[in-house]
Amino acid sequence: MTELVQNLIDGLGRGSIYALLALGVAVVFGVMHLLNFAHGELITVSGYAAYAAFSNGWSWYLVAPLIVVVSVATNLLIERIAFSRVRGSSEFTQLLTSFGIHFLVAAIFLMYVGARVQTFAEPGWIADTYSIGPIRVEVFDTVVIIVTIVTLFLTAAILQRTMFGLSIRAAAADFDAARLMGVNSDRVIRGAFALSGALAGIAGIFWLMRAGHTSPTSGINPMLSGVLAALIGGLGSLKGAVIGGLALGLAEVMLRTWLPGTAAALTQGVVFSLIALLFIFRPGGLVNVAHAERV
Amino acid sequence: MAGASSPVAAWARNRRREAGLLFPNLRRDVAFPLAGAVVLFAAFVGLGLLYTLIVEGASAEKLITAMFIDAIMVIGIQIYVGNTGVFSFGHIGFGAVAGYAFALFAIAPEDKYTRIPNAPWGLADVEMGPLPATAVALGVTLIVSVIVGIGLGRSGARTGSVAPTVITLALLFFTHEVAASWNELTGGERAGLTFGIGDTLQTRTPIYLALLAAIVLALLFARSSIGRLNHAAREDNLAARAMGINPVVQQTVALLLSVAVVSVAASLRVYEIGSLLPEFFFFQYTLLTLVMLVVGGRNGVTGALLGVGVITAVRESARRMGSDGYEIFGLGLDGNLDWVFREGLPTVLLGLAMVVFMIWRPNGVLDDWEVDAWLWRRFIRQKPPTEAVEAPEPEALDLSASGVSVEFGGFRALDGASIDVSNREIVGLIGPNGAGKTTLVNVMTGIVDPTTGEVHLGEMGLTSEPSHAIARAGLVRTFQNLRLFSSLTVRENVEVAALMASVHRNGGTRADIDAIVAGAGLWDQRNRRAGQLDYGNSRRLELARAAAAAPAFLLLDEPTSGMSDTESLAMVENVRRMAAAVGAGVLVIDHDLNFITGICDRVYCLDQGRMIASGTPAEVQAHPAVQAAYLGEAAQPGKDRT
Repeated sequence: MTELVQNLIDGLGRGSIYALLALGVAVVFGVMHLLNFAHGELITVSGYAAYAAFSNGWSWYLVAPLIVVVSVATNLLIERIAFSRVRGSSEFTQLLTSFGIHFLVAAIFLMYVGARVQTFAEPGWIADTYSIGPIRVEVFDTVVIIVTIVTLFLTAAILQRTMFGLSIRAAAADFDAARLMGVNSDRVIRGAFALSGALAGIAGIFWLMRAGHTSPTSGINPMLSGVLAALIGGLGSLKGAVIGGLALGLAEVMLRTWLPGTAAALTQGVVFSLIALLFIFRPGGLVNVAHAERV
Repeated sequence: MAGASSPVAAWARNRRREAGLLFPNLRRDVAFPLAGAVVLFAAFVGLGLLYTLIVEGASAEKLITAMFIDAIMVIGIQIYVGNTGVFSFGHIGFGAVAGYAFALFAIAPEDKYTRIPNAPWGLADVEMGPLPATAVALGVTLIVSVIVGIGLGRSGARTGSVAPTVITLALLFFTHEVAASWNELTGGERAGLTFGIGDTLQTRTPIYLALLAAIVLALLFARSSIGRLNHAAREDNLAARAMGINPVVQQTVALLLSVAVVSVAASLRVYEIGSLLPEFFFFQYTLLTLVMLVVGGRNGVTGALLGVGVITAVRESARRMGSDGYEIFGLGLDGNLDWVFREGLPTVLLGLAMVVFMIWRPNGVLDDWEVDAWLWRRFIRQKPPTEAVEAPEPEALDLSASGVSVEFGGFRALDGASIDVSNREIVGLIGPNGAGKTTLVNVMTGIVDPTTGEVHLGEMGLTSEPSHAIARAGLVRTFQNLRLFSSLTVRENVEVAALMASVHRNGGTRADIDAIVAGAGLWDQRNRRAGQLDYGNSRRLELARAAAAAPAFLLLDEPTSGMSDTESLAMVENVRRMAAAVGAGVLVIDHDLNFITGICDRVYCLDQGRMIASGTPAEVQAHPAVQAAYLGEAAQPGKDRT
């Protein structure tokens, strides 16, 4: 029982980060039907920004907002340079564009900073724990969960209460119709990329705190987690993305505990295969988003 | 007579018939592709060898060998991705399976004892030559691909859908993770597996053979009827199914062939490098092969080979400039370019090439240009057929839908609608917007499942059958919003339908495609892509394609929408001629009352999901309920709507 609760908390902590990443993927998918394989590169870029800032003696309190700013700016830049030019192209084209950017960003850092892993100091409290009865809870997990909840509320408020949020939701439901109703597609898409970048930035803060280092290929794991969680949630659905993120985090923690010895190393592979099975039997994901085709 | 009925003769006849079904036109679909394959092979290998003559040395030899093997791999991927349009990340995952299977069987026991003495199933003791080991790798990988193929089929893989991306990506990651963590079998992430010194590939002969075989296979497959049916499903999955094509079957064949080529390439790659680590078949190689595939053009073998050549050249020059200074082939560059030519440049270029090509030319430099097709178009003059198509006398057959209701959520689109059509008449279905006309046709063609009600063709029940089965039974439709196979030529659009019909409708005899194309007035346009046709010709082509599927009934959804009066009058003629040519009954939806009265023997009128009137066009037009439906309750009789 204790172990289960312990795992639940660990899983929620991990899942919260995934949820933020997945939400970013889903927001972009909603407005341009792009499955963004370059999403993890926001963390690569902000990781190097953080490294540079630490080298200049910045503290985490300054670096955290920097990460969000860099992440938003990078996402807007990528949209401007590449994604805006493949808008309306086939899914194949968009997918490979994002795949190419994923590699391009990694290779640029490899070329100009080097393959070496750059480490920086984790905040002092990251390993601290406190106890509630028999359960030991990490301060880190607590912070992550609280910040995620606040972020989700803020995001929900933006999406529900502002004109911009309304246009994003309208565009996600039916982009063409939204455009005909006077939604400015450029602004909505750029807004979606900014929002997605901000969410990735917040997730990035925690990701980098936990990792304590960055390298050219450090974007792969957050990208996979975000994309997978968004896929579990049915891609177009924002609520689904959050559920997918939490489910993925819980599944990883549980599998790691329950899988026998050698197979525990296969956690990610097993999760991946489960998701493949999910797609074989429910091609729309857990939360099915109807994409009816008019004939 | 005795000879003709002997088993041998019957066997030979069957083989010929099957070959005719697989390759509709032996000269165009076999002879020309074979010649094209030889030309491509000679050009590609020739250029590679020329390079080794100019730039001597072991590293140049190594580069060219690797390029030949990459070419086999990329062609393997092309067979699936190019023909089906389904995007796969997983082919390098199949490569990993084949690579490990090959290495585990081909490495000599004494070399395995040092790395993986405790390999499961006694694999460490297995001693096998490289050729049988390749066969084992092929077998193992094919088994995996059957499983993955079933999953892909179940998920409804099609152009642009997400499910295949996820499933294939899962395969890539799963194989990588198993390879990296199952140390007893794979030697793990660091050590891996290694061949003994001198045990590796010493000659290029097997590579040449495999490359030639891969090119031949890929070209023949693209020209085979299976390849052509795949192309149709690639262009428009729904329309393909409505023509009687079951994309899942065609895609699975493409997957198996493609994986076979990939597994041979992977075995050769491992054998040539002489060692195997999990990262050899992971993201980096996926990127490399995908860039090679899309730069030249994923829809053709020529494009794939061009991509392999160009990307190899670009990478090699970038690498050399990075390591040897800015001089290549004696071409010097001035100035300080350290910031460009340094380590990591080749990967930057790969990523850049991917992004730039997706923005600039997503279909690559050559798109689907193929040398054999070009030779065929260029040098074989085709004459238009002179004789008109004959109408075979069809047996009387009835198409009926009875008591059909459809609910979308709470909305009742159809409410107990019934309709009867004989295959000797042309029947119209009219009704105001939103009356449920298209929904009724969607139910009859298996695109929408009815909540209640039944559809029968003669004695055969068609209710809720899959679209392709309904088309094979003889119900072929057109679409309100035109769904042509847009990157196929006009003639190919018709041919795909005729291919389906020859297998599933006519017992092996094929309709005269040229006669149908000419009959539709499209002879001069036959080699243009369907996507380039103007609106009127597109409509004509859609009708011709439906007719080529040898239907018992044609279901036409607004064939004159968007046409002028004169054009729709011409369409009346066109529909009559096509229906007579194939001996099919017609059910036509339209708004244009002139068109309907001009063509139909009988007319049904739907309103708000219910059949409110039926009879001759004049009767229906005069029917008070019809006038009320079209013009409102206060309508005056005698007015018609156009």
